[in-house]
Amino acid sequence: MAAGALSRERDVRDAYAAHAGELYGFAVRSLDDAGLAEEAVQETFVRAWRAGERFDPEIGSLRTWLFAILRNVVIDLGRARSVRPRVGPEGGIEPSVEPLDEALLSWQVEEAMRRIGDDHRRVIVETYYRARPYAEVAEELGVPEGTVKSRVYYGLRALRVVLEEMGYED
Amino acid sequence: MKTENCREWRESLGAYALGHLSADEQAGLEAHLEGCAECRAEVQSLQQVATLLPHADPERFGPSPQPPKDLGERILATLDGERREQRRHQRRLRFGFAFGGAATALAVAVLALVVFTGGGGEGEPEQHVEFSSLPAGVEMAAMLEPHAYGTEIHMYVSGIRSGTLCRVFLRADDGARYPAGTFRYRWGDDSNAILSSALDLSRTAAIGVHAGDKTFIAPVDRSAAAIQIRPEEEET
Repeated sequence: MAAGALSRERDVRDAYAAHAGELYGFAVRSLDDAGLAEEAVQETFVRAWRAGERFDPEIGSLRTWLFAILRNVVIDLGRARSVRPRVGPEGGIEPSVEPLDEALLSWQVEEAMRRIGDDHRRVIVETYYRARPYAEVAEELGVPEGTVKSRVYYGLRALRVVLEEMGYED
Repeated sequence: MKTENCREWRESLGAYALGHLSADEQAGLEAHLEGCAECRAEVQSLQQVATLLPHADPERFGPSPQPPKDLGERILATLDGERREQRRHQRRLRFGFAFGGAATALAVAVLALVVFTGGGGEGEPEQHVEFSSLPAGVEMAAMLEPHAYGTEIHMYVSGIRSGTLCRVFLRADDGARYPAGTFRYRWGDDSNAILSSALDLSRTAAIGVHAGDKTFIAPVDRSAAAIQIRPEEEET
């Protein structure tokens, strides 16, 4: 068994070093619970190890494969949790968690935003998410308005590159 | 076509993709886009990125949470435990082979090595069945375990073509066949396929495996244990 991707301990160590951070980040994002997220990452590596030979590098990267496994683990953990619905502060049942694919997309975009440069992220946050006028942001940052505009441009480009690196496919 | 104007407009493309340009700026840029395929393509690509932005929550742009430092070691320890358990199980199933190697030159005849190991705890011991007289390089063995629902079968195969579909069945004393499920053999996979059949082990006369275009059958003769082997010692 497990003669494939993660058959040797070194393979597991390498895969963990390369991907555990991201896997954990997504698990926390979608489960909203650090303890469950740890469990999810552990279960992901165990399942990946058991199914190691089914990993085919010609179909996709190890990262993509691990994320696909994690996605199933999160679904399973989510199901297990939903057996005991949590009661919200108003006494009602909390609304169901957002669909997992949406959580995955959100996490990817957020992770990409974290990875672009501070200057780029800052102008996108201010002009897009906070809807502030370019002139105001420019003044606050002490740069010409044209610079804010060009940072928005290069920021979006950087975001595109990072998303591609992360394997995002639209 | 790329024009001198491009440089002038390029850096507005991001704001345009986000819908942030004033009406005048927008009209000017769109006039440029009419005649510039390169900028049009760039805008389209940026607009795709822009459609993703609403999915993100800016409150979550801070440092991402990191897994606890010992999680990696815990995972390795878990896998190590799984590995040991698997090897233990593997040895339980395979020890019959030590006795079978020399006799495997015969062609189609099948010889079963039936071993009672005691244990089982359900009134009847589990049984190890080795298929012999197999083609060179092929190994097959099964462990049959009695249950209230029928028989659990741990099937071990190695050396056949990777990807071969194996269909397993049990044959009752009266000749009726009871399917026990299918599995696919993969090179490098030395695990057991765990299958089950509704036929009681006490009524099972033989176990068969269709692998590709061949069928291998090994009798399960519970009263004719050829060799007694002491149960394997547990791993320490």
